Amino acid sequence: MANSDNAFQQMFDMWQQGQEAYLKAQKEAADEFSRNFADAGSANAFSMGPDAMSNWQGFVNSWAPAWNPSAMMANGSADQLFAQGKEALHGMLDPANWMNHAPEQLRNILNSIAQGPQFADLATPQIDAAEAWRESLDYQKAAMDFAKIMQDAWGRAFKRYSEEFTLEDLQSGEVKEALDAWLKAANEELLATQRSPEFMDAQRRLMRAGVEIKARQRETAEAWCENWQMPTRTEVDDVAKIVHELRREVRKLKREVAALKVAREA
Amino acid sequence: MIPRKRNTDGSLMDANDLAAQAWSSAWAQMVDAGMKAVRSSEVLSGQRQAEVEIAETPADVVFQIDKVRMLKYHPLAKKKSNAPPVLICYGLFGRQTMIDLQEDRSLVRNLLADGIEVYVVDWGTPTRADQYLNMDDYIDLYLGSCVEKLVELNNDKPITLFGICEGGTFATALAAMRPELFAGLALAITPIDFKGEPDEFWQGEGFLNSWIQNLSKDDVDLIIDTYGMLPGELTGAIFSSLTPMASMTKYNIGLANMDGNEAAILNFLRMEKWIADRPDHPGEAARQWLNDFYRENQLVEGKLEVAGETVDLRNISCPVLNIYALQDHIIPVSCSKALSKFVKPALYQEIGFPGGHVGVFVSRKAQGVVAGGLSEWIQKTQKPASKKPAGKKPAGKKSVTKK
Repeated sequence: MANSDNAFQQMFDMWQQGQEAYLKAQKEAADEFSRNFADAGSANAFSMGPDAMSNWQGFVNSWAPAWNPSAMMANGSADQLFAQGKEALHGMLDPANWMNHAPEQLRNILNSIAQGPQFADLATPQIDAAEAWRESLDYQKAAMDFAKIMQDAWGRAFKRYSEEFTLEDLQSGEVKEALDAWLKAANEELLATQRSPEFMDAQRRLMRAGVEIKARQRETAEAWCENWQMPTRTEVDDVAKIVHELRREVRKLKREVAALKVAREA
Repeated sequence: MIPRKRNTDGSLMDANDLAAQAWSSAWAQMVDAGMKAVRSSEVLSGQRQAEVEIAETPADVVFQIDKVRMLKYHPLAKKKSNAPPVLICYGLFGRQTMIDLQEDRSLVRNLLADGIEVYVVDWGTPTRADQYLNMDDYIDLYLGSCVEKLVELNNDKPITLFGICEGGTFATALAAMRPELFAGLALAITPIDFKGEPDEFWQGEGFLNSWIQNLSKDDVDLIIDTYGMLPGELTGAIFSSLTPMASMTKYNIGLANMDGNEAAILNFLRMEKWIADRPDHPGEAARQWLNDFYRENQLVEGKLEVAGETVDLRNISCPVLNIYALQDHIIPVSCSKALSKFVKPALYQEIGFPGGHVGVFVSRKAQGVVAGGLSEWIQKTQKPASKKPAGKKPAGKKSVTKK
């Protein structure tokens, strides 16, 4: 028991020391904060007097010492900075960028969570969720890539149709010929696309991404079955495999018995 | 380009007149197309799923092993042919009902009408409980047992096996492993060399080969390990995507063009019923089909092992009839014709049917060319064996498998 008391005492000391260190750090920051506001030389620290900018910079520096506004301004004019900001804003608002860049970054983050060190009882649901999310993004990306290849193929088909079937042809009023020409152009373009390495690669990635999601669904369903004391798919498959192997074994034995009978009769 | 219309005196037609005439013509054609669609729609709305019947030729089960059944069709001719009985073996990606889609387009009925005894293998409906069945089971155990049984029913005399598509590949492998069981081997739209001659492919040919060969072994394993089976919906979607525009237009333009023709619409519905009934392919067998056959081309490389035995196609010793479709978008012509490299020329014959994969069985032309050609080949090349093959054990008594 003495040991146990000592252990609790040690834990209490550690906690107390930690608290003191935290408060001390807070006090230093608070002191710096007060000094900067006092340097403003005015009762109203927020008034925009001649020293307001330097006061502001000092204040920010007290919280973020690495920040150097002079260096940032030296990189380019205010217009350039504004242009960069505008670009970044457009980037944030453009859905195409979400699909092209954000999921990739998010994917990397999710991957780093999923592939990180695994602790026995900690963070497993989070790791599973990160993997499931990444797989979902993979599928979205694969579906987008595939759709783009098909969209391009339709675009080429339409271009070809416009070139081969002229306005004059349309003016003839031969609707069936126009339709047949369109179907022919589209068919040939789609078939050519389906043979291209880009199509086959996109098709393969889409298939893989889809199957990986299916595998994840199966995993989720199995977890649910386990929670409710129901047989899982894996367990049922195991039974099917055992029956399959037993059936083979029985057939083999039956043949051996039959062969022995024939040999004995001979 | 369509030539611009001219007046009766040869001068180019006035632009306004031209536009009025074009509009009038276009409108008339659109109304006509609309009326055709309405007429087709009327006929279609009067049909019920249960009334669209396929595979109506009566047959009885004469043998069963697990879910696999062998059925014997009732004879139709008064006079029986002297030719050996024919066992028809379809693949696992579709149903054998294709060979008897409707009364006037039935390979089975054509053979029966010529007095030939006809049997068919029905693989049943595999479920996930059957996912561990592999090529050993399908080729050696199931098909081998059916053939053995038929040989036994035929007084221990060899029979003719007619394999179709994947079933043709099974039949070919078995004929190479157990040549003494066969009086003849007929094949239709059967892949033998799974790479074929890609340089000779026409525009819509060989997609399946290219797409599967673009997958890695790991891709194939991922699909099978995840699903357990190769889902029928997935294979159906892949088959549809091989002919993109035909698949996209068959339920609209295609139906409208039938113009309310009841016979044509019923043919179409029977075909749709067959397509919709696509079973799942057992997983392990599908894994081998995609990896060993399609990706690694083991059959023609002489590396395929079935039931512990390497399949050597040069062992085929019976007459062979190889029927392929010149516009087949699923099995390229060069993939089928490759069998000629392994069979002695004196034993080998081909029929190149001018049509598509399914047209070999369901088109009107096929009834004469394919069914007629097959019947004629059977009658000519396969004289009834008067006694058991010399120097060989009675086929029906030989062990089926080494498992």
